[in-house]
Amino acid sequence: MADVSPSKSLIKGVIKLTLFLGIGFAVLFILNKVLAAPTEDGYRFFPVIGSRVWVWVIAQLHLNFAAFVLGVPIFAVSMEFIGWRRNDERLDRIAYDFTKLFTLAYTLTAAVGTILLISLPVLYPKFIDHLMKILGPTWWVYVVVMYVETLVCYYYFYSWKQMKGNKKGKHVALGGLLNIMGMTMLLITSAWVGYMTTPGGVSDTGELINRWHAIKTYMWIPLSLHRLVANVVFGAGIAAAYAAYRFITAENDEQRAYYDWMGYTSAMISIGFSLILPGVGYMLGVEIYTFNEQMGIQLMGGFFAWLWVMQAILIGAILMFVNYYLWISLNKMPGGERYFKYVKFLFIVNLLSYAVWLTPHSIALSLEEARRMGAYHPVLGSLGVMASKNTAVVVSYMATFLSFTIFKISNKEPVVSWAKLGHAIRAFVIVGSTVAAIAIGIYSYMVTSAVRVKILSPIQFGIFFLSIIILFVLDSMMYKGAKIIGEPKWGKMPERSQYALIGITVTFTWLMAMMGYMRSGGRQFWHVYGIMKDTSPDAYLPTHGYAAVVSSIVTVIFFALIGLLFWSIMKLEKASEKGGAKT
Amino acid sequence: MMKIYPIIAAIGLLITVISVLKKSPFFNFIGLLTLIYGLLKSVGIITAPFPAQVMTMYMCMSVFSLFIYFSIQESTFDALLEPMRAVLADDNKRILRVLIVFIALPLFAGYLTFDKVKPNYEPPVSARIVHPEPVSSIEFRGKPITIIGLENPLRKDAPNMAKNLEAGKKIYYQNCFYCHGDDLDGRGHLALGFNPVPPPFRGTDTIAQLPESFVFWRIAKGWRGLPAGSTPWNSAMPSFEDFLTEDEIWQVTLFIYEATGNKPRS
Repeated sequence: MADVSPSKSLIKGVIKLTLFLGIGFAVLFILNKVLAAPTEDGYRFFPVIGSRVWVWVIAQLHLNFAAFVLGVPIFAVSMEFIGWRRNDERLDRIAYDFTKLFTLAYTLTAAVGTILLISLPVLYPKFIDHLMKILGPTWWVYVVVMYVETLVCYYYFYSWKQMKGNKKGKHVALGGLLNIMGMTMLLITSAWVGYMTTPGGVSDTGELINRWHAIKTYMWIPLSLHRLVANVVFGAGIAAAYAAYRFITAENDEQRAYYDWMGYTSAMISIGFSLILPGVGYMLGVEIYTFNEQMGIQLMGGFFAWLWVMQAILIGAILMFVNYYLWISLNKMPGGERYFKYVKFLFIVNLLSYAVWLTPHSIALSLEEARRMGAYHPVLGSLGVMASKNTAVVVSYMATFLSFTIFKISNKEPVVSWAKLGHAIRAFVIVGSTVAAIAIGIYSYMVTSAVRVKILSPIQFGIFFLSIIILFVLDSMMYKGAKIIGEPKWGKMPERSQYALIGITVTFTWLMAMMGYMRSGGRQFWHVYGIMKDTSPDAYLPTHGYAAVVSSIVTVIFFALIGLLFWSIMKLEKASEKGGAKT
Repeated sequence: MMKIYPIIAAIGLLITVISVLKKSPFFNFIGLLTLIYGLLKSVGIITAPFPAQVMTMYMCMSVFSLFIYFSIQESTFDALLEPMRAVLADDNKRILRVLIVFIALPLFAGYLTFDKVKPNYEPPVSARIVHPEPVSSIEFRGKPITIIGLENPLRKDAPNMAKNLEAGKKIYYQNCFYCHGDDLDGRGHLALGFNPVPPPFRGTDTIAQLPESFVFWRIAKGWRGLPAGSTPWNSAMPSFEDFLTEDEIWQVTLFIYEATGNKPRS
């Protein structure tokens, strides 16, 4: 599949993208002629499931694929760069495999994007007219960037084998350009969503006053940052799922060893970046509150409060899967058995943190339960608030980091003279930071919410980041030149460990769908919050149950398409092998 | 009925201890789940029991997490599954198979089904939201007031603070204490007439979480002003704009924060 010449690949990319855009505009033109005129207030109705659900499903699917194709290049290019500098063929191979994944996913992204491109103006013509009036020029920039990005992407992938040796630097630079294009696209699309949710630069009646202000809304940068990090987390998660799938279907030990390593690397990238997500999410929340307190309360403590409980359940499950994967991985590390004694303590810490994290503040109650409980349950009322939840998150992440640490050092023996002191410092940092985080959590109950939100919670997260940096530096120094008990036995993993990797990715995808619904639902009955009302029959918030069903359907469709992608890659590889050229 | 739960917890603990000694992960798993269930239900002896929904969440999490824990090592995982495999496949376990698979499990499924479909006169469970989102503005006796960003004007009037607090106290005991309680703890003598009971002002999870503008809005508009988007609210709070002036509402707001030692969210 990589035997297409780079110049031919460019032509292929242009044709494909133009074809999609051409089909999109042609179908749009035909539908506008064929379909009945929109209603007086600017709507057409999608049969059976309604316009909202249709656009909801397509937009979420497009976002999932877009997140994947924008997230993976970030670490693929980074790995190519490191592989190039260290002259490490294995890193180059994994970077190539990641690139293969996102290059092939571009076609699916464009196909779903084309359906969205057709659906929005057909079903919501008045709203899209308004968006075009306010942010029209950004759309045309988007099209140009999309072309450049596709060309760079195709050239980057298909020139991999030709641009080795002294051309590698140029190839890595090409990857850098690909990422710049990706980030530009992300900034443009975030500007659209930002305008819809926290609009600026327009009058009360929606007349454009200042286009730059309409782009530079409260939500723009925090949303872009949140998406950027989440894209890496999600992209790496999909890569891990791919590796797990390839591991399960591997035909020999060499393949199993490689895909085991690929799965581990991808999962650690995913979880490593997810450590930043609470921080950028916090920033996004602050901006939403600053824009409109009413929207902030609704999203955090009002109607959507239940979705945070769902989020806690899902992230808690992800952390359990990650820890599980790392604990199982001790089995393949020579010397790993020495660390099993710590696993039960890490498990208990994770379990208790998980229990606190998912405790709801607003509870579904029968009348009898409500009567017995009063306004708040004395125990649950205290556990279900941010003071305890932030503490649980920090402790849980710390336990997960420790699981990672014991995996990393389990096959090594430090040889430095100060090893005992090093172990003591490590224990002090772990115990000290955990006690400090818990103490701050308890103190948080005694202060005003402003002090908790603006001072104590950032300090808790700060302590966590500081301690993992200290532990990381300490271990790097302590295990420099360490005695290696034995190399990891890559591939010696039970199949169920791979299902944990797939479980992480499925849970991430589901979570993204739920959070996407929440972000969009925050606008309530507005297309553009406070500026342009939604007057369609769908101008109400669906129940959480209904939203969960739609989110689940989106997740199933997405994984069906991802399955198709994995299958295509394997089929192309086999065809390529038969043709004598190895990919 | 409540007294049975500590016994269940004790049985769970016993099964756990014996299974650890006998090295049986399967019974260890069952013992730990029984212990967790018994302990969680025993909370009801000391204070209000955990609602069914929370119990379900905790138990599902426990099953998931324990399954994770018992499948880390190959030997433990095999030993965990072994009794299940044996019941389903071993020739010498036919009677047990019939008892469990063909009698006990169908009966249990039947009981669950019956429990779901039997006539029930309880109103359906409602997902109660404690803090509804505030409206951006209200009409107070015909005068428009912007709620978002609104601050209590009396806080700036330091010389008259004591006087305003005293007035707020009087208003509270004339209007609010019947439901919200003499000690502002939500246990007024009419409180048990409502379901759910009125919220307390003490503690860190009601007014301490809210800006004063929110409290002003709730007192002024009561249940009638609650947003339609997130019903049902199950609130019997009257609209005090019918009985109190704007200043009086601010005075009583000042008082409930002062009396409970809480500070409004800023």
